[in-house]
Amino acid sequence: MIKKIYLIGNPNVGKSVIFSRLTGVQVMSSNYPGTTVEISKGYLRLGDDQIEVVDLPGTYSLEPTSSAEKVAVSLLKEHPQNEIVVVNIIDSTNLERNLLLTLQLIEEGFPVIVCLNMCDDAVHRGVYLDIGKLEDILRIPVISTCAVTGAGIKLLIERIKEAKPAFRDKLVHEARWTEIGKIVERVQRLEHRHHTFREVLEDASVRPLTGLVIGMGIVYVSFKIVRFIGETIINRITDPFFYTILQPFLEKLIFLWKEEGFWFHLLIGDLISGKIDFKQSLGVLTTAPYIEFGMVLPYVVSFYLILSLLEDIGYLPRLAILLDNILHRLGLHGYAIIPVLLGFGCNVPGILSTRVLESRRERFIASTIISIGVPCVPLQAMIFGLLGKFGGFYVSGVYLVLFFLILVLGLIMNRTLKGYSPEFLLEIPPYRFPQPHMLAQKLYFRIRGFLIEAVPVVLIGVAVVNILIYFDLFNVISSIFAPIIHGLFGLPKEAIAALVIGFLRKDVAVGMLVPLGLSAKQLFIAATLLAISFPCIATFIVLWKELGLKDLIKSTLIMVAISIMVGTTLNLLIAR
Amino acid sequence: MKKVSLTQLKENHRGKVIEISGDANLQKRLMNMGVYKGRDISKLSHIGLRGPAVIRVGRSIIALGYSVASKVKVEQK
Repeated sequence: MIKKIYLIGNPNVGKSVIFSRLTGVQVMSSNYPGTTVEISKGYLRLGDDQIEVVDLPGTYSLEPTSSAEKVAVSLLKEHPQNEIVVVNIIDSTNLERNLLLTLQLIEEGFPVIVCLNMCDDAVHRGVYLDIGKLEDILRIPVISTCAVTGAGIKLLIERIKEAKPAFRDKLVHEARWTEIGKIVERVQRLEHRHHTFREVLEDASVRPLTGLVIGMGIVYVSFKIVRFIGETIINRITDPFFYTILQPFLEKLIFLWKEEGFWFHLLIGDLISGKIDFKQSLGVLTTAPYIEFGMVLPYVVSFYLILSLLEDIGYLPRLAILLDNILHRLGLHGYAIIPVLLGFGCNVPGILSTRVLESRRERFIASTIISIGVPCVPLQAMIFGLLGKFGGFYVSGVYLVLFFLILVLGLIMNRTLKGYSPEFLLEIPPYRFPQPHMLAQKLYFRIRGFLIEAVPVVLIGVAVVNILIYFDLFNVISSIFAPIIHGLFGLPKEAIAALVIGFLRKDVAVGMLVPLGLSAKQLFIAATLLAISFPCIATFIVLWKELGLKDLIKSTLIMVAISIMVGTTLNLLIAR
Repeated sequence: MKKVSLTQLKENHRGKVIEISGDANLQKRLMNMGVYKGRDISKLSHIGLRGPAVIRVGRSIIALGYSVASKVKVEQK
C-alpha cells in the first residue's frame, strides 16, 4: 500500500512542473536552482486512492550539504520504505550528473521510478538516450517525460505502482562516478552538431567581456521595456477608464450628495476647484483605487512580465556570476542578486527568497539591504509619477543615493558582523525557451499575490488617513516630530503624516505628499526617506518571521539611524 | 604537465583535477556536482580579477567563487 509519493531530483530539473502535472496544485517554477524553498504537497488519484505527493527541494545527492538538502533527505526517511514511492526526476540533457542521486536512491533500497524529464530539450541538443537499456541496467522503471508540454505524464502515473527496490552494492564516491561513466557510455548517444546560436549565447554570457556587455544590455533593455509597457497600459487602458468613466460617474454622485460630511470626506475626499482630482482628493473611492490600479498596477504587471521572462530563460544565474565579485565585498555572494531582484518587485518575496542563501549572516545582510536600499515597484512607480515631472535628474538621484547606501551598508556589515559567508558554487542552467502558458500562469500568480496583499491595505490606509485628518489627530503627531522633520530634513511638518503612512503602504505615502505642494528638493528628500525608512507593514512582518525579534530590532535600528543621517545630509547638501 | 589551481588555469584550457583542499563540506559539494580527483574539466572563463571561474564538467557548467576555485588544483593539459 503506497502512502506517499516523493518527487526528488537535482536542482532545476523541473520537479515543480511535474508536481503541478501530477496534482493539479500550481507552484512557481523558474530556470534557476533553488526555486522550491517551501515543500509543497498535493494529491494524486491512483485508482480509488488519493495519495499524497510531496515536492522535495532539489538535491544533488543523499549526502546533504545544505539545509534545503537536509530537509529533502530527512523527509524521505520519515516513512518505512515499503510505504512510499520515490519518483526520481532527471534532466535528460545531463544524465551523468543526475545519475549520482539515482544510484544512491537505489543503493539505499528505496522503491524508485525514474522520470527522464526535458526529453524535447535533449533532442534539440543532440542527446539520445536508450530508455530500454537504462531500465535493464538500473532494473527499475524509466519513463521519458516532457513536463512543460505534458508528454509522458500519463505513462508516469500508470507505472508509478511499478516502482520497486532494485538493490545495488553500495559504492564509494569515486567508484560511483566511474560506474556512472560506464552506464552513460552504454545508454547515451551524442550527435555531434555545430554550436547552435543558443549555445554561442550561453557561452558568451559567462565570459568577462561579452558577458558584461550582454549583462548591461539586458538590464538596460529590461528597464526600458518595463517603463514602456507600464506607460502604455496607463495611457491606453487605466487613465481612459479613470478619466472618462469613473470620474463622470463619481461627479454625478457628488451632485446628488448635498452636504459634505464625514462620509463624503472619507469616500470622495477634498474637491480640487470643484472637481475630483484622483491624485489629490485622497478619498477611498478616488485616490485609493487610482494609486493602486492607475499608477502602480501597470508597472507591477510589466515588471513581473520581464522578470519572469528572464527567470524562465535562465539568465539570472549568469548575472549572479558577473556580480559575484562586487557582492563578495558586501558579505554576500553572486546568488544574492536573485532575492535583490525579486525585492525590486516587492520586498516581501525578496526577503522570503533570501532562503536560497546558506548562512544566517548572509540572510541578515541581504534582508537589511533589501528593506533599506531596494525600492519596490509600487514605490518606484509613484516616484516616477511624481518626481518625473521635475526631470530625470531627481529620479536618478533617488537611485544613486540608494545604490550608494547599499554599498556602504554592505561594506560596513561585512566588516562588523560575526559569522561566515559560505562559498559561491553554482550550476549554470542552459538557456531554455520560456513556455507562454507557464509564463502567463506565473504572471497571474504574482499579480494576484500583489492584489491580495495591496488592495485591502491601501483602502484601509486611505480610510485611516482620512479619519486622522478629519479629527485633526495628525497635528498632535506633527508637533512632536516637527523638530526632526522640519529642522533636520527641511520638510513641512505635515509631511510626517506621509512618513507615518509609509509604514502601511509606500505608494499611498508618496500619494499623500502631492497635496502638500512640495518643492523638487523636498519631494526628492521625502521620496528617498520613504524608500529607506521603515519598511511597510507586510515587509516588517516577514522580516520578523525570517530574522527573529533580535535581528529585526537590530535591522530596524540601522534603518532609523540611516534615515536620520541621510535625510539631514541631503537637506544640507542640496542647494534648492 | 603543469600543476595549477583553477584560478590560474587559462581560459579554454583543459585539465585533470588532482587535488581539492578546503573543508569536508566543500569537498562533498564539489563531489556531488561531479568535481572530484581524477576528473577532466575545461575552463570556460574567469570573471574579473578575483571573480568566479566558470568550468565545464561533463555536460554541466559550474561557477566556482574565487576562493573555491583556488582550492581546486588541476594538471593542465
